[in-house]
Order: sequence, then structure tokens, then C-alpha cells
Amino acid sequence: MAVGPAAPARVAPVSRVPGPAEPIDVTVVGRRMAAADVVELTVARPATEPLPQWTPGAHVDVLLPTGAVRQYSLCGDPADDRSWRLGVLREPAGRGGSGWLCEHAVEGTSLTLRGPRNNFALVDAERYVFVAGGVGITPVLPMVHAADRAGRPWTLWYGGRHRSSMAFLDELTRYGDRVRIRPEDESGLLDLAGVLADAGPGTLVYCCGPAGLIDAMQNRCRSLPAGTLRVERFTAVSQPVDDGADRDIEVLCQASGLTVPVPAGCGILDAVRRAGLDVLSSCTEGICGTCETTVLDGVPEHRDSLLTEEERAAGDTMMICVSRARGDRLVLDL
Amino acid sequence: MPHVQNGWYLAAWSDEVGRTLTQRWIAGNPVCLYRLGDGTPVALEDRCPHRKFPLSLGRLDGDVLECNYHGYRFDGTGACVGVAEQQDRPRAAARRFRLLERDGIVWIWPGDPDRADESQLPDTSWLTDPNWTHVQGVLPLKARHLLLVENLLDLSHETFLHPTTIGNAAVAATPIEVTTAGPKVYFQRRMIGVPAPPFYQKSMGLTGLVDRWQDGEFHPPGIFVLNIRLAATGTEEPEGFHMKVLYGMTPATEHECHDFYALARDYAIDDEQLTTFQHEQQLAVMAEDVQALEVQEVMYATERRRVAESSIRSDLAALRGRRVLRKMLAAEAAEEEAAAGRMPAAR
Ligand code: FES
Ligand code: FES
Ligand SMILES: [Fe+2]
Repeated sequence: MAVGPAAPARVAPVSRVPGPAEPIDVTVVGRRMAAADVVELTVARPATEPLPQWTPGAHVDVLLPTGAVRQYSLCGDPADDRSWRLGVLREPAGRGGSGWLCEHAVEGTSLTLRGPRNNFALVDAERYVFVAGGVGITPVLPMVHAADRAGRPWTLWYGGRHRSSMAFLDELTRYGDRVRIRPEDESGLLDLAGVLADAGPGTLVYCCGPAGLIDAMQNRCRSLPAGTLRVERFTAVSQPVDDGADRDIEVLCQASGLTVPVPAGCGILDAVRRAGLDVLSSCTEGICGTCETTVLDGVPEHRDSLLTEEERAAGDTMMICVSRARGDRLVLDL
Repeated sequence: MPHVQNGWYLAAWSDEVGRTLTQRWIAGNPVCLYRLGDGTPVALEDRCPHRKFPLSLGRLDGDVLECNYHGYRFDGTGACVGVAEQQDRPRAAARRFRLLERDGIVWIWPGDPDRADESQLPDTSWLTDPNWTHVQGVLPLKARHLLLVENLLDLSHETFLHPTTIGNAAVAATPIEVTTAGPKVYFQRRMIGVPAPPFYQKSMGLTGLVDRWQDGEFHPPGIFVLNIRLAATGTEEPEGFHMKVLYGMTPATEHECHDFYALARDYAIDDEQLTTFQHEQQLAVMAEDVQALEVQEVMYATERRRVAESSIRSDLAALRGRRVLRKMLAAEAAEEEAAAGRMPAAR
């Protein structure tokens, strides 16, 4: 228990006041595939003014012409105030933002950003364990470089589906065996017990990746001192655990007797509306619960943010604006 | 919308209940609160079984409560023990609610007393822990229960509604993580390396960047606990300044609530000036909330055709809370219907 003013904090070398939310106009100056489904974009300011300062773990908002706003971590060099690098995962169809960037952002494209902001700042510690799952590597990459430059011992555990889907492997080779690459098709899921075996006293654990990984880490770290584990989730949405690709499905609307084909890339909500059904919706992002629909048969693949794990597992209700089917057919109470 | 009956609500602070009969509406029930001679708190339905006169307008004769309209007399269990000046001994009883007194709080379970489950109550031992100090009170609120629940489950509003005390841009800018365990909803907002809002600067002398944690717990239907930690950025737990706020979100009637609060801290606990300052600030913050919720209530109550609301990510905890309450209500409604189906219609 602290009484009176706190003891002087151990100084965090890297943390900054979140900047005002002014828009920053940038132009795409580089684009390459950093992995099979990760597009790396380099953006710079058209004029010669420097870009705002940032620190490892920071992200920016990208204000898309579609009106959507998406967050991406900065994964370049914080010392570079002329250009920023973002890693964008090509997401399954139906989730607006990344799709637009992957398809339309090429050299010369203008983008509007906001930020940077950092909710995942690298705090000074004696040693670090970094855990990245998939595109979760993006905020972790500059952290790794910073920890290494600061001469702190660290290890990085980096999981992904397969090697070809894992970005920035080239950049990590120089660190030798401090980087533990664990593609799922070669070595299975990350061995979290092994990961945390390195987390002695004085260690901070930084984890970024899909919700499943973060939840599992949070469970594992319960017994460690509070504050040891620091996590960042990209969005409230848990990425689908299967291959994520949409399939064509068929929805039987029991109450109205309609059978509605739902092609890949089209949401159930849109499809049943087009078929003439009147269904309420509001956010169309799986947040608000307005479009909740009772599932009479079939297994939904939940992509919303609202349902709890138990509700998901029960599988008797779903948000049809974003969720789909595990199999190829659903029977809904519509 | 009716209120969940099978769940704990904060009925009163212990020091509000004594030998004076007090009426308080709780979850749609008029409740008459008092203590027996041995100190046991009692809550009876504040409707006399004779002609519904409020028992709280009666008087205590030792442990016997006498109705001031026609003289029905009740013991501490609510059973009628006679009628003053008359020979009748009606077989009548005032409904007695289940109470539980702990850590200076009188909790009430308005529903089936046999289902009252102590394990559903949150830990409140910090209200009596000598390493902590707190202030407490209750404010009337003319707004529906759900609005109060959603106010506390979505603290992004601090940025906009409380900018001179506890809010700044970092609150709304920092996303929450929401988890659930059964009907309970938890959220975490961890603001790292952010400026401290004025209340915390003055309370804790923190002038540089801080790490600010806001961990909320909703124990439905009516209890909210906020766990707060502030420390110079990078400071590790358990160092730092800790505060806890308990809110008893007790619905009174359909459009009114009791807004109970207790604000506690684990630092400078003997600093009375600080206590006064914090209490004033807490009341200032709550005045802003009360004002907001009351005008919001008017807007909800007068909307002729209900238009769907828009929601964003920061609403997730509140939306989960809403779902939980809706489910509890639906379950109670179904039970009532089933019970009504089994019973012959009342004549
Ligand atoms: S419309 Fe909001 S969850 Fe589907
Ligand atoms: S109403 Fe109470 S005695 Fe008649
Ligand atoms: Fe508030």
C-alpha cells in the first residue's frame, strides 16, 4: 500500500501522451507482400514535414473512404519520421476495412490517418518475453528491436498458421534462436507453458494476437504478479478459428418458408433482406445485438463481439449481420 | 419494464436503518425498514394486509408494529398477532423480505427468500478494512435502472461528461476488454502512459504520465464495483494508489432509482481534508451523472416510435449487462407464467 506520493516510478523510456486526434494526410509510397496474406504498406507525408513521434506498440487509425475506421499498429522504425510502415492482414470478405486497403491501397494512393496512440507501450523491464500470433507481430516487431537496442534479454515466440502466412520472418532471422518461430502446421499451437518458463521475476510479457491466444495467455498468467502480462487485441472481434474463408451457404428461414442462398462475400442479413424479409439491424458489425436471430438447426460460426463464450457454444442464437455457418446450411427462425 | 426480483440490491446503509419506520421503494416493491430491539434489521412489504395502508406510517410498540389505520399488529416475521382493541385474530401476514447485513450494508433479496444466495454478493470487506477509508451516501435518481447500469458499464462517458474531474481523452481513447462469468460482466480499461485527470492529480499528487486502471464488475441485477489503480507510468503493482467505488444501483419504481455510492482509498487514509475533497468531487461527478440520466430518461420515455439505437465497441460491456438483465427478467416472467398456469385463476 502506498501512502502519500508514490515512490519515483521506474522511468519508462518509451511512452507518450496520446496526440490530438488530428487527421494526417499521407500517400502510399511502398507496397509489398510481407506474407501470403499480409500486405505491407509504407506511407509518407506528401509534404516534407516530419510525421509525429511514436513509440513501439503504437497504432494509428486509418480513416477509409468507405467511412470505416480501422486500427493498425506501426511496425517500422520509430526513429524514421519520414515514413511509417503498416502490416495489413487480408481478412475474410465481409469485414470492410482491410479488404479495401488490400485491394485499393497502391503506390500513390492517398490515405487519411489519425494518431498515433499507444495503449500497449513498452515499459522498462529487466527482461521481456514477447508473444505474437499471426499479424499480431506488427506491434511486437518494433518492441523487439527496441529491447534489443536497450541491451535487455528477450525472447520472441511467434506463432502462425504456416510459414508462408507469417510476416517479417526475414527481418527476424538476424536474432538467431532468441526468436522461436512456431508455425502451427509444423509444431502445433504455441506451448504456453514453455513460453512462460522464460518469465522469471522482473520479466514483462507482451502478447498480441488473436483473441484465443490472448485469452489463453491471460489464463496462464493469473498466478504471475499483476501487470506482468500486457496484451493488445486488434479488435474486439475474435478472428474465426477455422480458415476464415467464407463459403457459399444456404439459409432456410423456417417461419417464412424461404430458402435463401448466401454466397461467399455476402452476409446472411443482406441475403435474407434481398429475399424480401424484413429484419432489424443497426450496427451491422456484430456489436449491438439488434439483428440477433434464433438458430433452429446448423452450427453458426460466430463473428460478432457481443455473445459470450457460453452463448457461442450453445449455438442457438446468432448475429446474422456478420456471423456465418460452420457447415453449409443453417435453419433460422426468420 | 418490471425489475428482477431474485437478486441482491442495496437496501440501505446500516446506519440508515433504526427504530424509526422508514419507507423505501425497491425494485417496484414498497418496503418498510426498521430494526427490532436486538438490532436485527427487518423489511416488510409496506402494504398492510388489511387495506394496504403503508405500514411505515404506523408505529413501533416494542418489537410489534401497529398499523395506524385500523390497528393490525405484526411481529418481526410479518405475522399478524392481533388487532388493537379488538378480539379478532386474523390469519394474515405482511410479506417479509430476506435481508443480509454485512460490512455496513443492508442487502435485500426481494424475490423468493429460499433462493437468496450469499455467494452472489461481491467482496465488500474493504469497507471495514482498517487499511482503507471510505465515504458513502445515496442520491435519488429520476431515471430507469437500466440507464444507471449502462452509465457505469460504459465509462467512456467520463471523457465528455466529467472533463473537469475524472475524465480526459485517454478514457474514451482506450478500448475496454469485456469478459463474463455466468451472469457477471467484467471490463478492464488499462490506460498506460497517459496524463492524470484533475481529480487524481490533486488526490495523489501525480503530475507526470500515469498508468490508470479501471476494472469494473457488474454483479447483476444491481451492484457495480469499480477497481481503480493509478501510479506513475511504469510503476508495478502492488505499488500505486488504489481506490474502489461501490455503486448500489437499486431500482425504486419503473422510472426511479436509489443511487448508492461508497468511495474508498488505500492511501493517506488519515488525511481528513483529502477525504472531504474526494467526497465533494464524488458528489460533483454524480451530480453530472444524475443530470445526464434524468434528461436521458425524458428522451427515452417520450419517444413515440422507438427507433433502434446505434452502438459502438465501447458499449460492449453495457450491452452485455443489458442482455444479462433481459435474460433474468425473461426467466422470471416464464416462471411466473408457469406458476400462474398451475394455479386456478384468482376470483
Ligand atoms: S446489426 Fe448490430 S449485431 Fe447485427
Ligand atoms: S389498513 Fe392496516 S389496519 Fe387497516
Ligand atoms: Fe459518470
